[in-house]
Parts: sequence; C-alpha cells; structure tokens
Amino acid sequence: MIWVLIFSELVAFGLFLGAFSVARAIHPAVFAAGQATLNSNIAGLNTLVLVTSGWAAARATRSARTRERRASRRWLLIAMALGGLFIAIKLAEYAEEIGRGVGLETSPFFTLYFLLTGFHLLHVGLGIVILAVVCRRAETSGVETGTAFWHMVDLVWIVMFPILYLVR
Amino acid sequence: MVLDRLDITWIALIGLAMATVLVPSVVIRPLLANALLLTFAALKGRRIVLDFLDLRAAPALWRDLVSAWVLIVVLFAWLASAIVALI
Repeated sequence: MIWVLIFSELVAFGLFLGAFSVARAIHPAVFAAGQATLNSNIAGLNTLVLVTSGWAAARATRSARTRERRASRRWLLIAMALGGLFIAIKLAEYAEEIGRGVGLETSPFFTLYFLLTGFHLLHVGLGIVILAVVCRRAETSGVETGTAFWHMVDLVWIVMFPILYLVR
Repeated sequence: MVLDRLDITWIALIGLAMATVLVPSVVIRPLLANALLLTFAALKGRRIVLDFLDLRAAPALWRDLVSAWVLIVVLFAWLASAIVALI
C-alpha cells in the first residue's frame, strides 16, 4: 500500500516539475531573472541536511530489521531532527525572500517556486510525523514503511533542487 | 571503522551534492552545465532508490517504476532547457 502512495506522490511531483520546465521554456527571461535571486548555497546546504537525514533513516531500518529497537529509535530521532533542521532552513530562506518583497504573484517563476517547494515542505513535515509515529514501537514493518516515505521526500528534493535553483 | 554500503552511498551523495552547487560557476556553457547537473541528480536518485529505499532486491516493477520516474523528470527538464538554448 505504501508503494501505491509513494508512486502517486512521485507522479504528482513529476507533473509539477514538468509544468515548471515547460513554463521555463515559454518564459525563459522571467525564469532566469527569478532564479538569479534565489540563494542556491542555502538550498545546497539543505540538500546535505536531507541526504544525511535519509542516511540516518536507512540506518534506522537496518537496525529495526536486526531487532535493535533502541538503535532504530536513535537513528529515527536523528532523521527527524535533521528533517526539522531542513524545515527551519527553508523557512529562513522563505523569510529572506518575502522580506525582499517576493511573493506568490511576483512572477510565474515564483508562483511555481513557492507551490513546488511549499508542497515539498508539507511532505517533509508529514514525513516527520510519520517517523515519530513509527518511532514509538520501532517495529520492522512500521519503520520500513515510515522510512520509505521519507526517502521519497529525499528523492523528490534531489531532483527538484537543480531544476529550480540551477538549471539555466 | 569499516564503511558499509549505506555509508559509502551517503558519502557519494554528499560529494555529488557539493559538486552540483559548484557546476554553474565552473561550467559556463548552459547546455553542458544542465546536462551535468541533471546527470548528477539522476546518479543521486539512483543511489537513493537502490540503497536508501533498498529497492535493489525488491520486485523489478517498483524498482523500475521509481528509477523511470527519476530518468523521465531529469530528461524532460534537460530537453526543455535545450530547446530554449537552441532557439
């Protein structure tokens, strides 16, 4: 069941990213101007945070499979903390952008940028909640399910980051 | 300290993520830079699919579906950017 959910989410994000690429092809100057104002170093830092969180989640799964529940919980807590750090960094990035007067209606680029990153940020928050739920019992199947969702969130960011921030 | 597959994948992902941020300032030609950026994204995605999602030993259907998603999204993004560069 989790794989049906994960693939549905991937299709939704894929369509969103496809729409972004098409819109960039239609309005290249608008998208280049919008992209030039983004801070790719902060987003790059967030990539390191989320990738490390994914590594911790993978270690949690491995520990759960060998019935090491305490270790699994510890890795899940690390994954959740790094997920929280990702959200904090992203919110700081939003605050800086909004402080410059940028918003949803500034340009087609920023409409899609805020929708895509906001949709992803909601999934990061939901992923932390799911990890917190499976962390209580740290049973193998629960941890596998929770971390699979978390890796989907990680995978989407890995693809989204260069498309939004770096591809010209 | 012995590194296992998860550690090696994490190190590779960190290295590729840092290389990704450097590409625009090192590679001037947009088509080539975009190709590199999206190739790095596909490589990172592949590592996550096989090692973090642990689909290496999973039914081929799920592994291929998720891997195809990564490839389709990055190829589409590259083609769209290539069309803009060539027009």
